[in-house]
Amino acid sequence: MFSQRLVFALANTLAVLSALYIAFAFDLERPYWAVFSVFIVAAPVSGMVRSKAIYRWIGTIIGGAGALLMIPPLVHSPELLSLAMALWVGFWLAISLMDRTPRSYLAMLAGYTAAIVGLSVVDAPQAIFDTMVSRIEEISIGIACGALAHSLFFPRSVAGELDARIESTLRASARWIAASLTELAPPSGPSAPTRLSRVVGEIYTLNTHLAWETSDVMPIGGTLSVLQDRLASLLPALSSAERAIAALRASNALTAPMQAAIDATVDRTHGLADAPDILEEARPARSTRPTAPPSATPTTRWAHLHEQTALAHLHELDAALDDCLVLARALRDPGAPMDAALRREAESARRVPLYRDVRLALVSGVAAAAAVLVACGLWIAGAWTEGGIAAQFAAIGCSFFARLDQPAPMIRSAILGVLVALPLAALYEFAVFPGIDGFPVLALVLAPVFLALSYMQAVEKLAGSALVIAVSFSGALALQETYVADFAAFVNINLAEVAGLLIAMAVILVGRTLDPISSARRIARGAWRAIGRAAQRGARLRPAHLLDCIGQVSMRLDASGARDVHALNPLQDLRIGANLATVMSAETNARPDVARRLRAVREAIGAQYRARSLGVRGVNDATLASALDRGIGELEAGPPQRHASATIAALVSLRMDLLPDRGLGGLGAVIA
Amino acid sequence: MIGEASIHGVFVPWLLILALASFVATQLVRRVLRRLGFYRVVWHAGLFDVALFVIVLWLLTLGTAHIGPGSLRN
Repeated sequence: MFSQRLVFALANTLAVLSALYIAFAFDLERPYWAVFSVFIVAAPVSGMVRSKAIYRWIGTIIGGAGALLMIPPLVHSPELLSLAMALWVGFWLAISLMDRTPRSYLAMLAGYTAAIVGLSVVDAPQAIFDTMVSRIEEISIGIACGALAHSLFFPRSVAGELDARIESTLRASARWIAASLTELAPPSGPSAPTRLSRVVGEIYTLNTHLAWETSDVMPIGGTLSVLQDRLASLLPALSSAERAIAALRASNALTAPMQAAIDATVDRTHGLADAPDILEEARPARSTRPTAPPSATPTTRWAHLHEQTALAHLHELDAALDDCLVLARALRDPGAPMDAALRREAESARRVPLYRDVRLALVSGVAAAAAVLVACGLWIAGAWTEGGIAAQFAAIGCSFFARLDQPAPMIRSAILGVLVALPLAALYEFAVFPGIDGFPVLALVLAPVFLALSYMQAVEKLAGSALVIAVSFSGALALQETYVADFAAFVNINLAEVAGLLIAMAVILVGRTLDPISSARRIARGAWRAIGRAAQRGARLRPAHLLDCIGQVSMRLDASGARDVHALNPLQDLRIGANLATVMSAETNARPDVARRLRAVREAIGAQYRARSLGVRGVNDATLASALDRGIGELEAGPPQRHASATIAALVSLRMDLLPDRGLGGLGAVIA
Repeated sequence: MIGEASIHGVFVPWLLILALASFVATQLVRRVLRRLGFYRVVWHAGLFDVALFVIVLWLLTLGTAHIGPGSLRN
């Protein structure tokens, strides 16, 4: 670990110094732009560096073009220019937030690059073209040096990262399945939906970087998408099984054969959690588990149905876990054996769409525009020479942390980072630089700082603050061809930076701090609407997509610390979504009479979820109850099949979730 | 190859244009080699890609030597 970080730090320092050297050699205007570009693209995994480098490059070009478009016509009417700049920053920030992949960096950069380039030349608008070109050149040098260094010196590939992440997730899932089935106690820490959805999101991010990996890494997007779906199925399957088992246990109807079936799953998952290499335990052939209830003479119809439900969900859980292992193994070694149906699915799988928070995007865009306007207003009204810099930093501050519900604390720590970097920069600028001359000495005196900052970047916890310090350190030094010691300018410029960040923080605090609970409600309503629409149209509901939405809800519930928020139950939504998906896929394969029943079920659930998204609950409980009961009865009367028992299980689970007050006791009456 | 090309009056180093062209060309070559499974026998893919880029750039420079900046310059 230590040596890995040291290698990273050395490679990064080398990249920084070569970027600085090249920028000096070409007589470029602001070599420090090249320096901090290296720090910005630096990441421990080579694919990430390369993708960020490309996104940064394209974003910078768009932003530079924007500045070129706005400055010349508007430079003589500062108010209009401020307005145009604010709208530009806000627009691109909103676009950026609609995209949750690393690609969003491109749009965000397009926004504030225009502010950086444009607002620094308003006093000399004829320089706009040169400034834009030099910004693009210097950033190109910085990202090229960074990308080269991190691809050449002992690169770590995204594939390796992905493999480690997936392996630890599977191990943790196995442990957690075993624990839930034996003790039936919730594990501590963040809730299961939060943890699992975070992993599914991370896999998505790593998948985006994968396209930019060095050439020896194979394209594996389809396998990854299916793996995300299977990981997302673990949670609802386990939770549905648990509920059915708990119901059996509560009424003392847990038979010995049923207990044996539970123990089989527990043993298997215990074995997986303790295996030296969990992926070696993959079973390529899909398991065939008995689907008939283990007890030949169940006591009541109620117990029989619950037993069948528990068994089917346990089977579903086993199957999903097996598929996860097989897919994860195929990621490591494409030649690994795989079930033919699974392989077909992996080859044709599309990417999982991520949840899009349109409202967050719009509100953040408006907030960023407002912050830029406020800074520009102070600049114009106060005849503040460095006001342009404040406006630039207001734009940066609003953009950088916009994805968070509460960005203000992050901006505060960024301000702290700037304040830490300042004395260090002042030391160099006014104590060290006057005594030195020439690039080799400059490189020598700067190397220790760059090395330390690069090392900090390799440590996950310190990476954020290291980046802030590195950027503001190199910005404050403002390394230029000839040394100019001007303490007044140094202080004024850096104070303007801090002022800009403070403006960003104030605007965000006033205008867009989102309460986690109300965000959770809003996102949950969106998810309900999506479930309702899918149910009514019979469209496919992808488990990973649902988990992603629901994960956003449960993440916010966890963050707020509220254990029990009225009307929000992420786990229940996941169960209903998964069981609904089972019902919908059964509908397409079923006999016409059964399909009609299942269709009635899904339409009733669709109506209920649509109503729920509007804040109304229990609109058509009676219709839903009769649709579910008729469906269960119809399937029970038919020939016993694997699909039939899975569908019955889904229906019983839906009934337990949607109509908790109407016990299955009334079932007999409806059917008779 | 030393000199600048004029694109609507904007002077761009000829080398930059060649470098961009060879970057694109390298991506295409990479894709083909990857399809062929060539990278299984490469020890250090990053190093290989950089070398490939340099070779492609060199070839392009050679190939465009006589249609170079002289003809593009205004």
